[in-house]
Amino acid sequence: MMPSTAFTIALIGYICATALALTYLVRREEMIHRLASVATLAGWACHTLALVLLALETGRPPLGNLSEAVSAAVWVAVLLEMWLERRSGLRVLGAFVLPVILILGLKGMAVRVGPDAIGPALASAWIWAHIALALIGIAAFVLNFAGAIMYLLQERQLKARRPGTFYYRLPDLETLDRLTYQTLVLGFPFLTIALLLGALWARTAWGSVFAFDPVALFSLVAWAIYAAILAGRAAGFWRGRRAAYFAIAGFATLVLTLGIGLFLPGRHGS
Amino acid sequence: MALFVSGLSHRNAPISVREQIAVDEDKLREILRDVHATGAAAEVVILSTCNRVEVYAVADAPGQARGAIFRHLCRQRGVDAASVEPVLYTHVDEDAVRHAFRVASSLDSMMIGEPQILGQAKEAFALAQVCETVGPTLHTLFSQAFAVAKRVRTETEIARHAVSVSFAAVELAKKIFANLTGRAVLLVGAGKMGELAARHLVEHGAFPIYVANRTWTRAQEMARALAGTPVPFEELMGALSSVDIVITSAAAPEPLVTRRAVHETMHGRRRPLFFIDIAVPRNVEASVNTLANVYVYDIDDLKSVVDANIRERMREAQRAEGLVEREVVKFLTRLRDVEVIPTIVSLRERIETIRQVEVQKALARLPEAGPEVRDALEAVSSAIVNKILHTPITKLRESSRTGAGRSWTEFVHELFGLGRAP
Repeated sequence: MMPSTAFTIALIGYICATALALTYLVRREEMIHRLASVATLAGWACHTLALVLLALETGRPPLGNLSEAVSAAVWVAVLLEMWLERRSGLRVLGAFVLPVILILGLKGMAVRVGPDAIGPALASAWIWAHIALALIGIAAFVLNFAGAIMYLLQERQLKARRPGTFYYRLPDLETLDRLTYQTLVLGFPFLTIALLLGALWARTAWGSVFAFDPVALFSLVAWAIYAAILAGRAAGFWRGRRAAYFAIAGFATLVLTLGIGLFLPGRHGS
Repeated sequence: MALFVSGLSHRNAPISVREQIAVDEDKLREILRDVHATGAAAEVVILSTCNRVEVYAVADAPGQARGAIFRHLCRQRGVDAASVEPVLYTHVDEDAVRHAFRVASSLDSMMIGEPQILGQAKEAFALAQVCETVGPTLHTLFSQAFAVAKRVRTETEIARHAVSVSFAAVELAKKIFANLTGRAVLLVGAGKMGELAARHLVEHGAFPIYVANRTWTRAQEMARALAGTPVPFEELMGALSSVDIVITSAAAPEPLVTRRAVHETMHGRRRPLFFIDIAVPRNVEASVNTLANVYVYDIDDLKSVVDANIRERMREAQRAEGLVEREVVKFLTRLRDVEVIPTIVSLRERIETIRQVEVQKALARLPEAGPEVRDALEAVSSAIVNKILHTPITKLRESSRTGAGRSWTEFVHELFGLGRAP
């Protein structure tokens, strides 16, 4: 099987899973939730196969250019989502995570263009570590973003004092706040080390950390936002709604970063 | 024999009629025995609650049985049967099954999803069992109704959301805090509803409880009742900073809790603060709700949450109705199969006896026959019997599913001389 065929099947699996998870939000049928879980798992299994096939075909980790890296980040995010849902019993999680995953997936998988950004001369363990760490961080921030959205929806319902679907379907604010916090704590170190490795790499390869590269600049902005949330939380005045708004801003910057990386020229290629 | 349910409920009879014929357990016992003894009905269960009086029965003539049972009921209570008769409803067969399932699942209750009715139905059934007025049909019906009720409770949310103001407050607290264990509560004022809400919170693990009241002795009393600590009324604002949930029900012309005070309390604070203000006029300034991490619900807000909860129950009831409908169909199929199975069994037995007798006769005429001949005779006769019986048995099963099982079994009994159909 061609890797691209497996990617397409995985994407179809994710589309079905997203549709089912969103349906489950309105129609609380046991069957719909089970089907959504099956579709997610099937999509992820196909995705795994696709990544393995790609690695075998190219003879390198399936992270050769930015779109491949995004696809791998999606793979990690789905794994994280399945694990978190199982662990927390938060059955509506899929409805908030899967749409984001799908958008990233469409970006990363469908727009698979361009040659390897990493020439043989550049390839080293450092660069692979840089990419792998960055994408684990991104995956954690996908969940952080979903958690923030859920928090804001529930918070709005409680403030408005008019309970609607989200009031009934979403868990309590404290659980949602903890979810956003934990995913932030998980993702932040990965992003930090990935950025450091990238900077070190840039200095060895190009002799300068600050040479203009849009992806590097924007990810630094995203990192700063996440760092600010962590600091704010530690100080005690950035909990709840404010932390959630910043989590959304941070994720928006990350998505923008990836978008720039995919469509503008720069060191991160294609 | 037909299964039927007949009675009256909050849907069609006013309390003035219901209270007249509702009966207590001792009277029920008598009535059940009497009805059974007269032979008006083969099986009877009587469900009597403040919202309904219903008779579930199996009888040859439902109309007569119903008349006899209700005359009995009315005589017991000294009520004129003629005044009750016009409001009675009667459901037969499929409709009776559906009604039993809906009642047990609390879909026919005044407050949809209320939990008492299932227990009451179980008691009524148990009483009838003690009085030995339950036969196979009502036994299957009620066991299945209880199973359906359990499914409805676990698979839908018809019983989940609070329909009283004090429970709605607890539910709201649970949407703000992950759990209430160890959450500190401050109760201001000595209103009954405030105390009730505080009690519910304590039952869910809230601790410690502080009580403030203008009258110090009243604060002490209430604190004792709730296993809490009395707080001087002047130190109200100071107490705010150490609690998570505040219930206010004090009589005061001006708000006791101002936006400015709460704003100061929230400075540098990490946990949310939840105000349940059931006082009229309100004790908490409405603008307090605009502060971050602070949630204020006054009595009207709590009522609108209750209304939303009832609407949510109604939505869930729609799903429950679908579930009940599927269960009714399943149950009827089973019930109808039960109807033709005795006929199938006696038909098989009859033909099998004939076969065995004839095989024995044939073997008696063949004294030298070896084991191969015996086996061959057995095989050929069995094959003929099975082939011939295949179509009639299939037809019988099909007839039961289309509801014509009754006439078919009678016909088969007549045709094969199987005696009177059951």
